[in-house]
Amino acid sequence: MSISLAVSSSSSIESPQARIAVESRNLRVFYGKFMAVRDINLQVEECKITALIGPSGCGKSTVLRAFNRMNDLVPVARTEGEILFQGKNIYDPDVDAVEVRRRVGMVFQKPNPFPKSIYENIAWGARINGFKGDMDQLVEESLRGAALWDEVKDKLKQSGYSLSGGQQQRLCIARTIAVKPDIILMDEPCSALDPIATLRIEELMRELVNQYTIIIVTHNMQQAARVADYTAFFMVDDTRTGYLVEYGRSDQIFMRPKDKRTEDYITGRFG
Amino acid sequence: MAVETQQSKVGYPEGRAFERFLRWRKQLGALWGTLFFLSTLIGMVVLVVLVADIVDGAFGYVALEYRVDPESLVLDYHKNQMVSMPKTLPSEEDVVLVDGIAQRPAAIGFVGYAYYQQKADSVRVLSVDGVLPDEATVAEGRYPLARPLFLYADAKTLASKAEAALFVGEYLRRVDEVAASVGYFPAGESVRTENLAAWTRASGLSGESLPVAQGELSVTGSSTVAPITQRVADSLVADNRFVGQVQVESIGTDAGFRRFCADLGVDLVDASRPMQSVERAACLQLGRAPIEFQIANDGLPVIVSSQNEFVRELTRAQLQQIFTSATRWNEIDPSWPDQDIFRFIPGVDSGTLDFFVTALFGSSLAEQSTPVLLDILTSNISAGRLRALEAQRPLAELSKTELVERIETEVLRPQVAASWSLTDSLLRRTEIEAAAAAMPGTALIFKSWVNWEFLTSPQSSDPLHAGVRTAIFGSLLVTLVAFLLAVPLGIAAAIYLEEYSSGKSWFDRVVETNINNLAGVPSIIYGMLGLAVFVRFLGPLTSGLAFGVGDPSTANGRTIVSAGLTLGLLVLPLVIINGREAIRAVPRGIREGSFGLGATRWQTVWSHVLPNAITGILTGVILAVSRAFGETAPLIVVGASTFVVVDPNGLFAKFTSLPVQIYQWTSRPQPEFQHLAAAAIVVLLLLLVSLNALAIWLRNRYSRRVI
Repeated sequence: MSISLAVSSSSSIESPQARIAVESRNLRVFYGKFMAVRDINLQVEECKITALIGPSGCGKSTVLRAFNRMNDLVPVARTEGEILFQGKNIYDPDVDAVEVRRRVGMVFQKPNPFPKSIYENIAWGARINGFKGDMDQLVEESLRGAALWDEVKDKLKQSGYSLSGGQQQRLCIARTIAVKPDIILMDEPCSALDPIATLRIEELMRELVNQYTIIIVTHNMQQAARVADYTAFFMVDDTRTGYLVEYGRSDQIFMRPKDKRTEDYITGRFG
Repeated sequence: MAVETQQSKVGYPEGRAFERFLRWRKQLGALWGTLFFLSTLIGMVVLVVLVADIVDGAFGYVALEYRVDPESLVLDYHKNQMVSMPKTLPSEEDVVLVDGIAQRPAAIGFVGYAYYQQKADSVRVLSVDGVLPDEATVAEGRYPLARPLFLYADAKTLASKAEAALFVGEYLRRVDEVAASVGYFPAGESVRTENLAAWTRASGLSGESLPVAQGELSVTGSSTVAPITQRVADSLVADNRFVGQVQVESIGTDAGFRRFCADLGVDLVDASRPMQSVERAACLQLGRAPIEFQIANDGLPVIVSSQNEFVRELTRAQLQQIFTSATRWNEIDPSWPDQDIFRFIPGVDSGTLDFFVTALFGSSLAEQSTPVLLDILTSNISAGRLRALEAQRPLAELSKTELVERIETEVLRPQVAASWSLTDSLLRRTEIEAAAAAMPGTALIFKSWVNWEFLTSPQSSDPLHAGVRTAIFGSLLVTLVAFLLAVPLGIAAAIYLEEYSSGKSWFDRVVETNINNLAGVPSIIYGMLGLAVFVRFLGPLTSGLAFGVGDPSTANGRTIVSAGLTLGLLVLPLVIINGREAIRAVPRGIREGSFGLGATRWQTVWSHVLPNAITGILTGVILAVSRAFGETAPLIVVGASTFVVVDPNGLFAKFTSLPVQIYQWTSRPQPEFQHLAAAAIVVLLLLLVSLNALAIWLRNRYSRRVI
């Protein structure tokens, strides 16, 4: 508890001027009686990439999914604490989870395009959210935004499944930015991809961060060091509950970790 | 070092033991492979045997027994027409006929050739279709009113019974002379030579001087030929060439052959037509190899008085007109005098009249003209039946084939005397033909029990006219109701259970357990449920009375709706379980992707889950429809009527269904109904296969469009 508070205060000290996109306060997530993460206090800065790292089972994905209430889809999941987004707790009873997800988009570990055409993959999200503008333009814009346009512009009618893994993942990113979210959550987006495709996604993330706030969960510390502005390090305690150990600018976390556990982890002593 | 290696491999087989182990493992695999193959094979064999058994019953020979013989129907009709014409004088005595014609210039008639010859100076013979009767034209069959006459013997009798062989030998030598005296034409020299050669081959006798025959002979058959045989016998007895008795009976050719091929007591048959293959088969069955001797030709001269100046020749059509419709000569030809036609014909019991009618009009229904067929039909059914038929469709509109069909069903009323399976029909054909030939008045036909009439006729107690039309309609309607209930409810429930229910509340758990168990409940229990709920409790609704559309006969609620709802409940778990499987198989990533874009649950289900699960859901629907279509027990409990002859007029009608119909037919003792059941099973299977094929085609088409 004391650690979390300390981290929380330190991050706000480090960037006093920064605008906060989303903030978790005393976040706890339970799966039935099991507490998956405890007391997470995290302030995510706007238009920056924040990476969540940590050993397997430390609850970093659970925290990520708490930001757009994806955990609600798990029948036994229960969330305590607050997540403030645009000044409002998204877990307030009067907030609609569907509305939250439209504002906080998500890209998943395994590329999951819809079994529809490339065009429809992008247009569908816009359509169900009531988009009334020029759909062709939106599709092109989104595909360009995801650096995929040049590769697929001649085969928009083909199935999304006809693309390679990396292309599929960029299609999922294009699909996400087509609904114009404020924040994009990425849950190990490159873990199913080869190094070249990974590199392209990383480049794309650096471009996207000019417009979007990105929170990424990754197993790959090099990736976090390469792309993330901020890094949060999570660990798991004896009861297998995850907690936040240290949070700060990525260069600080990777070069001068304050916590011994962080240092042990990033130097490869465990995990 | 060696010890170390040993140790590191401890526990694993080595060398020969390893080879043995490999061999054993391979053999075990092969054994299981064989077992799997055998299981498949057994399944296939069972399936093939099942289909073969059904097909075996659905096709095969049938011996039809007509209530009225079709040939005599035609014959009697024309004979009646002839006899009832005005100015027609029938006489049993040919002499009377010839004299009558000779005296009247406006008279016409026909007699045996011998009688014409006796009065050749006072009467004139006419050519028919341009041919005059003489030995040549009659023998060649060019003269229309001509036919050959036969004597039949058999090889065994000729070889073993001396008196029969001697009698036939003498018969063949004397017959030309005798035939001419009775009024027939001799068969000719070449036929006689052939006959004698055949006789020599069979009897081993030859030469001019035969010994005197002694014994008793029995000859039966045609009344046309009997006079020849009688006269030959008389002359042989008179000449002391035959000591004993020759008994000559006239019972008709058909009956003669039947006796000959069933009773060894008959030695010879007189016949006015050749033996048919089925009759020959029956004879061979008895051990008789029939030998045919053509003994004479019958040719009926049509004569007028020699005072008649205008008629020289007639066509068959004119002859038909003269004897059955025209009253005055100028109706036949305007250049002929306006005089009454006087007709002299043999008596109705005479074979000569029969022959004349048959030669002129033909003996089968198919040869008759439409007006004649119409007349035959109307004059052989009751006035009430006639009105009923006219109400169905005016008889005047019917085509010739339709008329023949109507006559068959209304007048001839064939009944199944015996029936055989397809295997028997193919493998034991001669035996079947023989058995059929032994049954008087039957016709053997190869029948496909599955035919258009079977599909389009309602149920009937007459197996030849029973059909599955009402059952097909019943089945389709019941299945439709079941479909309309089970498919929307089932898919909706599957979606709820997979996408909305948490599976944690006690309600969800109860529902889940129940559905899984319901799928295993015996169908008869559903029948009882349907009886209690839909028939009894909801009777006013399911009988349609509450809506004012019910039929008093279905006031008990045993209607298509009740049956359909019962079957709907029966197949509901199938739809739900298969639907849930299909929905569960949709990858979670697709749902997450959809939710991640801000889609509601409904949008996710509608746009992603359903299109991706539809193939599996439809598989469940297909299974459910097939199940409903083939279900029997619950329908019997709910109260399917086993005998419905009217098409269901809506959802509140009494019903039967194909399986119920099949069940009912199989439970009847008569073999014909077993054939009907087999035919109905063929129809049921074909319908099921086509329903499934349609559903699979739709499913594939739809699922292609989604991806």
